[in-house]
Amino acid sequence: MPIKIALAGNPNSGKTTMFNDLTGSRQYVGNWPGVTVEKKEGRLKGADDVVIQDLPGIYSLSPYTLEEVVARGYLVNEKPDAILNIVDATNIERNLYLTTQLAELGIPMMIALNMIDVTRKNGDRIDLKKLGGALGCEVIETSALKGEGSRQVAEKAAALGKAHKTVELPHVFTGSVEHAIAHIEDLIEGKVEKRFLRWYAIKLFERDERVLAELNLPDAITKGIEEAVKSCEAEMDDDAESIITNQRYAYINRLVTDCVKKGKARGSLTTSDKIDRVVTNRILALPIFIAVMFVVYYVAVTTIGTIVTDFTNDVFVGEWIQEPARALLEGWNVAPWLVGLVCDGIIAGCGAVLGFVPQMLVLFFMLAILEDVGYMARIAFIMDRIFRKFGLSGKSFIPMLIGSGCGVPGIMASRTIESDRDRKMTIMTTTFIPCGAKLPIIALISGALFGNAGWVATSAYFLGVAAIVISGIMLKKTKPFAGDPSPFVMELPAYHAPSAVNVLRSMWERGWSFIKRAGTVILVSSILIWFAQSYGWETPEATEDEIAAGNEPAAVWCAVENTDNSVLGRVGSVVAPVFKPLGFGDWKPTVATIIGLVAKEEVVNGFGIMYNTDTDDLDTATLLEEGEEEDIIEGLSPIAAGFAETSNGHGKLAAYAFMIFNLLCAPCFAAIGAIKREMNNARWTWFAIGYQCVFAYFIALIVYQLGLAVCGVFSIGTFFGLAALALIVYMLVRPNRYDDKHLTKSVKVSA
Amino acid sequence: MIPLSMAGVGETASIQKITGRDEVRQHLAELGFVVGERVTVVSVLGGSMILSVKDSRVAIDRTMAMRIMV
Repeated sequence: MPIKIALAGNPNSGKTTMFNDLTGSRQYVGNWPGVTVEKKEGRLKGADDVVIQDLPGIYSLSPYTLEEVVARGYLVNEKPDAILNIVDATNIERNLYLTTQLAELGIPMMIALNMIDVTRKNGDRIDLKKLGGALGCEVIETSALKGEGSRQVAEKAAALGKAHKTVELPHVFTGSVEHAIAHIEDLIEGKVEKRFLRWYAIKLFERDERVLAELNLPDAITKGIEEAVKSCEAEMDDDAESIITNQRYAYINRLVTDCVKKGKARGSLTTSDKIDRVVTNRILALPIFIAVMFVVYYVAVTTIGTIVTDFTNDVFVGEWIQEPARALLEGWNVAPWLVGLVCDGIIAGCGAVLGFVPQMLVLFFMLAILEDVGYMARIAFIMDRIFRKFGLSGKSFIPMLIGSGCGVPGIMASRTIESDRDRKMTIMTTTFIPCGAKLPIIALISGALFGNAGWVATSAYFLGVAAIVISGIMLKKTKPFAGDPSPFVMELPAYHAPSAVNVLRSMWERGWSFIKRAGTVILVSSILIWFAQSYGWETPEATEDEIAAGNEPAAVWCAVENTDNSVLGRVGSVVAPVFKPLGFGDWKPTVATIIGLVAKEEVVNGFGIMYNTDTDDLDTATLLEEGEEEDIIEGLSPIAAGFAETSNGHGKLAAYAFMIFNLLCAPCFAAIGAIKREMNNARWTWFAIGYQCVFAYFIALIVYQLGLAVCGVFSIGTFFGLAALALIVYMLVRPNRYDDKHLTKSVKVSA
Repeated sequence: MIPLSMAGVGETASIQKITGRDEVRQHLAELGFVVGERVTVVSVLGGSMILSVKDSRVAIDRTMAMRIMV
């Protein structure tokens, strides 16, 4: 049996850094059963018999957040051999609050007094012996960021876990509270495991609902406990939970006064506070925020990003993989269809996806720096005021920033939002922001029909933001999302220099979540799409004999000449009428939309094949990236003609509607998968996808039909466009039936 | 007693009372907002505040700041 060590501590205490430091790359990442809280486990470097379980960052073991429930469930039910408790030495009072609760569990514990380098610089002196003596465990100074002491503290924890000694609990409570808890201990003795006796007694004193339900004590005991708690409450003139909290803090206060000599006077402004004065200043906050975002995207998209993306697309995938593979396969005399499948299907498909990786990594790198420095938490604070107006929290903004690179890690980033409602709404709306893979679609439409006008791309981002705002307001007035927005409370980490390891790790984790899909979902789908697009039933040209006999040749299953006849083409023809009201009711854009569900970046390749805009030495995607303006317009003219045909000459409107629909409708399969994982519920997943598609359809319909009307073309479609617009406006302005204030108001009136 | 939301940037005050649901109060307590504790206002942005309490910085919105009486 390996030794299990639970790593516990406050958020921002350097827990993740220490976990990475201790386990290196030997980590297993998953979810805690039944919830979307990340579970990380790893083996201690150089000690295969020691497993370190990273618990979520928590402030206490109360049952109010998912993280707390998960952490205490693990500690009480899974019985780790030892706890490694990380305490942020720069914020020792608040951190010891959790420590006292952990100590009461009776599990052997080591304390890592982290960020000790900072406290040393401040001139604080902490008496480790005294502190450890009072809490019944050993304290070791560490600095996870500098790798100091981590190893030592983990080895000591492992040794403690092996020794199985009983632990002496700290004496936190005094007077009548201690008396009442001791009385409860007597009452429940034998009903619970001996080492958890004190923990259960305290939780019962607090009337912790989960513990009450779990133990299911006989009525006589419950009554006895209630009496003890009531009399204590009467004596202290406070409720049980507050009594415990206050006594805990009082105990910590005595302990800290005893053990810690502060270098600087308490309450003086730190450097971090001085930065906050400027960065979150009433006047400067937004300009600084906009400037930071501009720099991030400028670097990620135009400079470094483009250079590496071009390299990956043209040299890495094109010259180094695709061509040699083709030459190799042809050299082996492999059947042409197989060469096609491997080179044009698999390699080209995955290559198109991988082409985004460098740019995405640059973006994630920049965002990881913002996160590690501490600015990301300030962004949430600054944006909260604005996002609150349409029912989201400031924390929703971070997933959207990441989603502008790739929706998959963006959706995953929604985990940090505690409120279930806010998180669900964030998951549903994050993919409205154009991700990296949707940019080629925008470039295609802009290049083919709008003379490469820059406003098309700008409008796409505005559209994304507007879709989020409109959805927020509309959904907020529906039953599942109604109610007061959850209060915003967020600890802000102190600003500090970014650590290379943390930044690179975070960048890689997000990038990897994208690459992994490229290797699995998108790989398989590329094969299927290639197949469905290349094969079908086609009527071969009639031979002379058949013409002479007057026979029509029968359609046979074969590799098709015309994509029109392929399986995909036929499916497209069936579905196409659905998009007629949007102006692109032809099989080609329909097929492109279906392909877009697999991977949005494939839409451009699909257009290239179907409209024959690929030439021998230049495919459509490359043309868009590198071609001169006139060449692009010239080269893509079949696409412009196609849209003009389906819309009776209003090609621009139809193409714009096509773009709207593709940007807002259900994201790619990979992102749908992420939605499913984060929603953790099939109904909600379907609701999210359904909402996105219907919303996209409505907006595209409104734009196309009302656009036609402005041009003087009226039809039954105009009516539907107006109806859709009216419906959305109604949803936006109708009074909120579920609003608390609204309810109280009407009660007052009737009274 | 006045709500903390009335305090200005740079002011330090001692918490007298925290109102609201148990859950909210408990969460604030875990972050260090307990009666008798001193808080310093680091920054104010449209009613939301960044506060310094027990050596850590916590951002709260206006509704929460209204619940903390100083």
